[in-house]
Amino acid sequence: MNSHHDNRPMCVQPDSGLVLTTDPKPRLRWTVELHDRFVDAVTQLGGPDKATPKTIMRVMGVKGLTLYHLKSHLQKFRLGKQPHKEFNDHSMKDAVAHTWYAIRMQMEVQRRLHEQLEVQRHLQLRIEAQGKYMQSILERACQTLAGENMAAAGGAAGGYKGVGNHRGVLPHMDGAMKDNFGPTLNFPPFQDLNIYGGDQHLDIQHNVERSSPSLDGHFMSNKRHGPYGGGGGTGKSPLIWSDELRLQDLGMAPSCLGPQDDPFKTGVIQIGPPSIDTTGIGKLESLSDIYDTKPGISNDGIDERKFELSPKPERPSPRRAPFQTERMNP
Amino acid sequence: MAMAIDNAFEVDFCSYSTSTTTTTTADEDPACTWNHWGSPVVDWGSLSSERDEFQDLIESMMDDGTGFELTRLGHDHETSNSVSTDTMVADEETNGEDFKGLRMVHLLMAAAEALMGANKSLARVILVRLKELVSPSDGTNMERLAAYFTEALQSLLEGSGGGHSKHLITNGPQHHRDKHREADMLAAFQLLQDMSPYVKFGHFTANQAILEAVTHDRRIHIVDYDIMEGIQWASLMQALVSRKEGPPTPHLRITALSRGSNGWRSIGTIQETGRRLTTFASSIGQPFSFHQCRLDSDETFRPSALKLVRGEALIINCMLNLPHFSHRPPSSVASFLSGAKTLNPRLVTLVEEEAGPIGDGGFMGRFMDSLHHYSAVFDSLEAGFPMQCRARALVERVILGPQIAGSLTQIYRNRNEEESGRWSEWLDTMGFNPVSISFANHCQAKLLLGLFNDGYRVEELANNRVVLDWKSRRLLSASIWTSPPDSDL
Repeated sequence: MNSHHDNRPMCVQPDSGLVLTTDPKPRLRWTVELHDRFVDAVTQLGGPDKATPKTIMRVMGVKGLTLYHLKSHLQKFRLGKQPHKEFNDHSMKDAVAHTWYAIRMQMEVQRRLHEQLEVQRHLQLRIEAQGKYMQSILERACQTLAGENMAAAGGAAGGYKGVGNHRGVLPHMDGAMKDNFGPTLNFPPFQDLNIYGGDQHLDIQHNVERSSPSLDGHFMSNKRHGPYGGGGGTGKSPLIWSDELRLQDLGMAPSCLGPQDDPFKTGVIQIGPPSIDTTGIGKLESLSDIYDTKPGISNDGIDERKFELSPKPERPSPRRAPFQTERMNP
Repeated sequence: MAMAIDNAFEVDFCSYSTSTTTTTTADEDPACTWNHWGSPVVDWGSLSSERDEFQDLIESMMDDGTGFELTRLGHDHETSNSVSTDTMVADEETNGEDFKGLRMVHLLMAAAEALMGANKSLARVILVRLKELVSPSDGTNMERLAAYFTEALQSLLEGSGGGHSKHLITNGPQHHRDKHREADMLAAFQLLQDMSPYVKFGHFTANQAILEAVTHDRRIHIVDYDIMEGIQWASLMQALVSRKEGPPTPHLRITALSRGSNGWRSIGTIQETGRRLTTFASSIGQPFSFHQCRLDSDETFRPSALKLVRGEALIINCMLNLPHFSHRPPSSVASFLSGAKTLNPRLVTLVEEEAGPIGDGGFMGRFMDSLHHYSAVFDSLEAGFPMQCRARALVERVILGPQIAGSLTQIYRNRNEEESGRWSEWLDTMGFNPVSISFANHCQAKLLLGLFNDGYRVEELANNRVVLDWKSRRLLSASIWTSPPDSDL
C-alpha cells in the first residue's frame, strides 16, 4: 500500500470513514483497512486485470470513493503486482539483466580506468624518487672521486662543465673509463646534468633551459635528454618530457651520434629512449606520439585513446605516453 | 677468414681425437671438424639467414636436445652426423654469423662437459680456442656473451677466480681498481636501471605489495636481506609520505643484514647506505630509523639478533636478482627465510631470477639454461639500446659478467645435487601463505614495462607471483607471501 502522504494533515470523514487530507486538493489516504477491502473486491471480481474501477466501486460500496480514486489505486495495484509477473517473463528479465550487467561493467571499467590513472601517477612519483636517490649516490661518489683526484693530481681543473672539460677533471676516471667511454664519464654536479657533450652538441646544450633542482621532486628540465636523462651521470626519471621537447631533437640526437661514429668518441654518453631506433625513419615518426607535445594538451587526464585498457596481461604499447600530461614543470 | 680459422681449429683437434681420418669428403671442410666432435644433430636448414636473436639459436638447440647428445672426444668413432656437407657449404655463406655462433655454443658446451668430466687439459684447450673467437667488447651479442662464459669457465678451471692465465676481461690495473671499480659499478648500475626494467620491476612490485599490507599501520619494520645502496626504499618512502589512507607518514624502520665481507660488489658500506637513506628520508619528511644486523660468518641468520618493537608491521624483503648478487649461498638464503618464518612477518617479498625448465639435464642442462638466460638478457639490452654499445659493454662487464661467473660457480658446485628449485616454491612448502598481487600492482608492472622495449612482458604465473619476460624467456619472478594466520609465536 502506498502511503506517500503520511505527513499531511488528515481528517476523518464522519459519514464514510474515509481519511482525507485537508489540503485544497483533498487526496484519499488508503488506509490498511480500505486497501484490504479494495483487494477483496478486486479478488472477487477476478483479479486486477478483470476488475474495473466501476465494478470495484460497486463491490466495495464505500461512500465517497470516486472512480478517480479507484482508477489510480488500481493502476498502482496492477503495477505493484508486476514484479511477480516478471519472473515468468523471460525476455523482460533478460533485458533487465543485460542492462544491469552493462551498467555494472561500465562502472567497473570506469573504476579500473580511474585506478589505472592513479597507478600511473604514483608510478611516476616513485620513479622520480628513485632517480633522486640515485643522484645523491652519484653526487657523493663524484665528490669523493673529485676530492681524491684533486689531492692526487694537484688540483686538476675544477668544475664539471658538461663534457667539454672532460679531459680536465677526473684523470683517474679517465683511466678507468677509457676502455669504455673514451672520454670521461662525467658525474656532473646537481645543477649541471648535461651528459651530452662533444662539440656538436655544445651549442644545443646552452639552449637548454635549466632550472635549479629542488628536493621536492622537480627535475632539471634538461630537455635534450629525452626520457632517460642521459647516461651514468644522472638519476633522472625517464618520465620527464617537457613541452619544448622537439621531435627532431630526439631524433637527431641518437642518429647523429649513431651510425657514423661511435658515440663515445665524441664524449657523449647517451642513453636514448628504448624505442628510438636510429635506423628507422618510421620510428622517428612514431615518436611524435610521445614527444611532440602541443601546448593544447593539458593536464586534464590521460588521453584515453592512448591508454589501452587491456584485459590481457600485456602492457600498453610503449609508443603511448601515459605520463605525457603528468609532466613536472620546473 | 672463417675458413682459415676453421682449418686451424681442425688442426688443433686432430691430435686430441682418436679418429683422425676424415670420413667425409676430402676437402677441408668445416663439416669434418664436426665429425671429430660427434656433432650433435643439427638441422642446418632450419637456420634462418636472418640474424635472429642468439637465444633462438640456443632454444632450437635445446629443443633438439642437442646439448646432451654430445659425445666426448676420444670415446667414440662412430659419429652420428647427419649433417650433409652440401648443406653446410651452402649455408655457410648465408649463415656465417649463425655458424660462428653455433660453433661458439658448441665449444662452450664441450668445455663445460670437459670440465665436468675433470678433463682439465681438454677444457683448457677448448677455452684457448674459444678465446680466439670471442671478445667481450666487440662483436655480436653472442661473441660477448661467449666471452663472459669463457671467462667464467676459465675461473672454474683454475679453482678460484684470478690466477696466472690471461683474462679476457680486465678490470684495470690493480692499484686503480678500487676507485674505478666503484665508479664503474655506479655507472653500470645507473645504466642498467635506465636500460631495462630489471631493477625497478622487483622493487616496485615488492613496494606496492608492502604499501597495501601496511595501510593502517603506524609503524613499519622492514628487514632487508641485501640492501646494497638502498635504492628500493626511496620510492617506498615517497609513497608512504604521500599516502592518503590510514595514519599519515607512518614511521619506517629498516634493518639491513650485513655480512662480514660484502665482497667487491658493494658500493660503500651498509653504514653509508644507512646514512643516505636517513638523509633522503629527512628530505622528504619521512620518519625513519636505520639498523644493521650482522650475519654470522657463515651467513646464518639469527632472528634473535633483530630488535623488534611491539605493534610494528614486520616485512621481510628478499631481493635475489640483478643487480643484487644473485648467487648467495643457498644456505644463507634458507637460513634467512626460515628464520623469518619464526618472526611471523606480515609480509614476505621475494624477487629471484627465474630459471627455465631443466628437466634432468644435470649440470649441462643448467649450463645451457644459464646460457639461454643470459643471452636473453644481452638481447634485451641490445634491443633497447642498439647504438649504445659502450654503455652496454660496461653493464655487461661490471654487472653481468660477474653474475655469469657466479651462476656457473653455483651450478658447478651443485652439479651433483638435485635441482635446487625456486625459492618461491620453498616458501610455499615452508608454510607461507600466498598474498594476491593486486590489480594496481599488476597495472604498475605493465605500465613500467611500457616505458621500455616492446619485448618485455609481465606474466602472471600465480595469484601471488608475477614474472618479467623478455620475449619468450622468463627472467625475474616476484612473489608475495605472508605468515599463516594461526601460526604460533
